[in-house]
Amino acid sequence: MKRTLAQWDQRYTELRAAGLKEPWYGGPLRRHQEAGDTRLDHLRFHDSAAALRLWNFLLTEEQRLKKHRNAGRLVVGTLKDLGTVPIMVYALPNAVAFYPDGAWWLPCVQQLGGGQLAAADRLGAGERLCPVRALLGSLELGTDFPEPDLFICPVGATCDDLSAISQRLTGMGRQVFWWNLPHRRAPDPGESAVSLPGGCLAPSALVQHVAKELGRVRDLLAQRAGVKLGDPELAASIHAANAVRRRLIRLRETRCLPALEHQIAEMLAVHYCSDRPECLAVLDDLCALDESPDPRAIRTYWVNPVADLAAMNVLEDLGGRLVGSEFLFPQAIDLLPEDIPPLEALARAALADPMAGPASQRAQRIVREAQAAQAELVVVSRIPGASHCPFDARAIARTCATSGLQCIEVEVPPLIEGVSSALCTRLSAAFEIAQERRS
Amino acid sequence: MITVGIDSGSRSVKCVLWDGSKILGKSRVDAGLNAQATAKQVMDEVCAWAGVAPEKVRAICATGYGRTRIAATYRVTEITCHARGIAHCLPSAQSAIEIGGQDSKVLRLGSQGRVEDFAMNDRCAAGTGRFLEVVAARLGCTLEHLGRMAQSSTDPAPISSMCVVFAESEIIGLIAAGVQPGSIASGVFNAIATRVTALAGRLLTQPIAFTGGVAFIPGMQEALTKTCGSQVLIPKDPLYTGALGAAMIAGERSRTV
Repeated sequence: MKRTLAQWDQRYTELRAAGLKEPWYGGPLRRHQEAGDTRLDHLRFHDSAAALRLWNFLLTEEQRLKKHRNAGRLVVGTLKDLGTVPIMVYALPNAVAFYPDGAWWLPCVQQLGGGQLAAADRLGAGERLCPVRALLGSLELGTDFPEPDLFICPVGATCDDLSAISQRLTGMGRQVFWWNLPHRRAPDPGESAVSLPGGCLAPSALVQHVAKELGRVRDLLAQRAGVKLGDPELAASIHAANAVRRRLIRLRETRCLPALEHQIAEMLAVHYCSDRPECLAVLDDLCALDESPDPRAIRTYWVNPVADLAAMNVLEDLGGRLVGSEFLFPQAIDLLPEDIPPLEALARAALADPMAGPASQRAQRIVREAQAAQAELVVVSRIPGASHCPFDARAIARTCATSGLQCIEVEVPPLIEGVSSALCTRLSAAFEIAQERRS
Repeated sequence: MITVGIDSGSRSVKCVLWDGSKILGKSRVDAGLNAQATAKQVMDEVCAWAGVAPEKVRAICATGYGRTRIAATYRVTEITCHARGIAHCLPSAQSAIEIGGQDSKVLRLGSQGRVEDFAMNDRCAAGTGRFLEVVAARLGCTLEHLGRMAQSSTDPAPISSMCVVFAESEIIGLIAAGVQPGSIASGVFNAIATRVTALAGRLLTQPIAFTGGVAFIPGMQEALTKTCGSQVLIPKDPLYTGALGAAMIAGERSRTV
């Protein structure tokens, strides 16, 4: 069951009265709205204590980062990286990684009230770039998260927007450590190749190159943290990362969460909201939920994260339910191999990034997963300004068509009110088609 | 069983009264601020014209942009409703182009008026009736006259901008350069047809139906036929296919309740 923020006020009182125990970041959801996260007023949340903990964990990351900073820990901003360098950072005893690109949700959550996009505009990063440009505004304003001690960013097979944004960051005087993530090419005939998480093949030489690049990152981290960072530490961190990933895989299998909370939970795989042990506890609570999805709802596979979280509510309001998703970071959820040298395992994961390879490979995996989940519809959610979207969306639509899967594209800007009529019509029409196919 | 379909579009609200086999009446009014009041007005008009007491109406199905703001038994998207209406009016159609005031759609049709796939242009005025309105206003003529001028021109002006705002600037430049209004009109019709055909992609298979308010404007059918490379057919009452489909769906669903 889902509740509005106002309904959650009452629900929170009931849970507390029933003896709910909360971690330090616990409390009513209302306080986040009062602190400026005004979009919460427009969302509906799962009514479980586990969901409350998830939301509180997500919305207190800024406080957590400040605590880390005050405790003297190294704060590493890992740009673009979705599940590789953060694992290396968490191998250090006194460092945390965080995801500056995550600022792309601030314009939504704060309903533009934080001024990040306007500040990015003033820096020359306008609407032609994807909403990740909010991170430039956020850093310029200095209001959302502590300035990282260090930025690390891949270069090469990353999207044009991120490339432009991260270069602008250096123009703003930030030191960025770059490492090379080359395009994932297919192995030549007879060339030695290895299998990546997710099933793609890559030439061994490419994997070794990326492992060497990550070796440079390891050396930098060790030097900045003033500690040794060897294979045992990295292997232990990979093992801990897999513990998070196993829980997310279980959540994917059970599909007990509403779409909104599911997306938030999967985002934890990226950087653990700056506290990996607590992230595990949050996921454990979610995994313990026992809810059956509505069998009448149209089984929907969703592609790409949504800039406005409200879109996930809309999906269910109109009669859909999430049976699968690809939020652009399957490499942060696929299990990492633990029987090979750690840097090679991380290199394989980095190369498994869907944006590092051809859109057709991404499309094939999406269709494979959608079919396995018996999806009736694939929704490709476009991110305004995101340079990869037009290419990926076409490839996904084509692959769906050849597999007999219905596929639609929708655009989800940071606030959907202006496009809600179009969004609802597209989704409703797709559901109507799926419904007619059932009969 | 008598049912009503109301298509609440961005420019007008259309209503069809249906008895399960034929249209008893139909009408349209300009869209107002209050979708419910406008819907009631047009429905009352149709019922009065057809001599049917409103209480005899078994079910109402609302469709179109304003469907969620109308009191109705069912609410179904215009995608589904147009397909059903087109299948009734033009049973041979395999695909359909619908160009309305604010958006355009392309449907691939299956059996019994089911939609197999669709594409919509709903974020940009290019490829919609709004584009034609802007051009007609700039050239100081009616939409019908604009269409007649386009039909009579043999020398369409190239319009390179797909954005209506930029295209308007381009048209101002063409007027200043002394290009004939007919050439400009013809160029604009071609630009819209090109835009809609590009939107259609793989969806267009023959025979192609053409509906929506823009189907009434002379010249658009020819422009689409040219860019699609095959004849597009306009069913009878192209403005009402959505409302008709809605009325038919209301009938089907009421029978199964």
